Amino acid sequence: MRSEVAIVGFGRTPYSRARPGDPVLTVDEYIAWAADLALQKAGMSKNDFDGQGLGVAHAEAAHTVNWSAAVAENLGISPTVLLRADQGGASASAMLIRAAAMIQSGIVDRVLVVGADTPLHIPSAAPGLPLSPERTRGVYWDFQGPFGVMGASAQFALVLSRYMHEHKVTPEQLGKIAVNARYHAGLHEGAIYRTPFTLQDYLDSRVLTDPIRLLDCVPIVNGGLAYVVTSAKTARTLTDRPVYLRGFGEANNYYRGSRSLPDITYTGFTQAAPQALQMAGVTQRDIQFLQPYDDYPFIAMMTIEDHGFCKKGEGGRFVEEHDLHFDGDFPMSTDGGQLSGGQPGGAIGGFMPLIESVTQLRGEAGARQVRDARIGISCGFGGIPYGRPGRSCISLVLSTEP
Amino acid sequence: MSAIVNPATGKPLPTITDLTRPFWTAAREGRLVLQKCQRCATFNFHPKPWCIECGSRDLQWTDAKPFGTIYATTISRSVAMNFPGWQAELPVLLCLIDLDDGARMYGQVTHCKPEALHIGMRVKAYFEAISDDAGIPKFRPLQDA
Repeated sequence: MRSEVAIVGFGRTPYSRARPGDPVLTVDEYIAWAADLALQKAGMSKNDFDGQGLGVAHAEAAHTVNWSAAVAENLGISPTVLLRADQGGASASAMLIRAAAMIQSGIVDRVLVVGADTPLHIPSAAPGLPLSPERTRGVYWDFQGPFGVMGASAQFALVLSRYMHEHKVTPEQLGKIAVNARYHAGLHEGAIYRTPFTLQDYLDSRVLTDPIRLLDCVPIVNGGLAYVVTSAKTARTLTDRPVYLRGFGEANNYYRGSRSLPDITYTGFTQAAPQALQMAGVTQRDIQFLQPYDDYPFIAMMTIEDHGFCKKGEGGRFVEEHDLHFDGDFPMSTDGGQLSGGQPGGAIGGFMPLIESVTQLRGEAGARQVRDARIGISCGFGGIPYGRPGRSCISLVLSTEP
Repeated sequence: MSAIVNPATGKPLPTITDLTRPFWTAAREGRLVLQKCQRCATFNFHPKPWCIECGSRDLQWTDAKPFGTIYATTISRSVAMNFPGWQAELPVLLCLIDLDDGARMYGQVTHCKPEALHIGMRVKAYFEAISDDAGIPKFRPLQDA
């Protein structure tokens, strides 16, 4: 099946660590900034989206009711279709799938998808670190916080400990993923931390919650991202470099085994990735780069496994045996990922793999350009369910060819 | 709504609803209760609006055996969300525990050296009051229980 939709524009604002003296932008301002960049890239204006689609990713910073419509109001756009994703780090990918379905069915011709968050300015019950009020709401929190769950790193450390019990991975193998992200960040001006570090630096970094170290964690930033997706027909009138959505797969609330006692060493990518590859009509061998949702290095490793680039349990060895650099045999996280690029809130980081994939496929990645990039995989990974990794897993196959 | 903090302990408290009250009350009294599905006998945890295996809304709070096996471990060495009460307990040994009745829960393990903590360890629940209205289970190694 030939793809009927393509991405024609994208934007990523500079990120902020909100240091004293830095300008403090609102979520609305970041959205407008990212949308402006995406529209300029596409050669379009906001008025091109009247009567079309607008997609808005959930932000954790306090926002009004009817958030997607309020964003339309703030941007002065009057769309016929509003998309709203609350799938955390899978939101950007989810809206691409929804937009594609809307475009293919003829409901709209194009959709502007935006996301921004200012997690460093969330009023928090725990001063000093981001913790939005909605994270401490409901049974999810009630049966975690009082029990000693102190955050995402503890939740993911538990998953990693089980993985290490059932399979084999070394700190050196995970460290290579973190070092690789930092290497690529050095080649990307927008990344928040760009000074290279060594494997020894990784190993020497403080253990926060065993086996998660400081350099396993993403730096939180404020920022915004956006992209424009349209019909293939319109895309070809706008650019000679459209990036086509060739295949997608999505798994929400995935369990392996029983719902009471699941095996948590597998992610929903075991379902989503084969779907995406099959739809695209390609195999793992055809894929030239992988942009995982690297909220932790071991999640990137599990993403490799669950996409079938190697067998379960061999992800660590795979990482060790391959060159993950942009010019290596398995280019990964070529923008520095979230690990060194920064995470603009758990809900918005998911735009980054998508936008880096499009950048690579347009040949606009500069010093980190994957040679002759024609096809790659971008991942969304969102939400932390009780005692498991990843509520939403989305795999996208993107290509220069329809 | 922000997290409720017990000012005496500096730790978070749950928002108690009619759905979850039986758990908190029982734990305050030193008992472990879980929702048991009356159709398929699955123990659900955390509390659910219907059985997540079969969809039956006929869930009854049922006494559960206070024993389990550690499924996953972490040793939190710093306070990540600034609830200051955890500071005094560092390092916090946090586990996923597979209860003998077949549900999995987050639980803090105490009376155990960090280096002795391991997956597969048998543990027994004990109960700590966290407010006038609520208690939580914590766990200790079975041989010391």
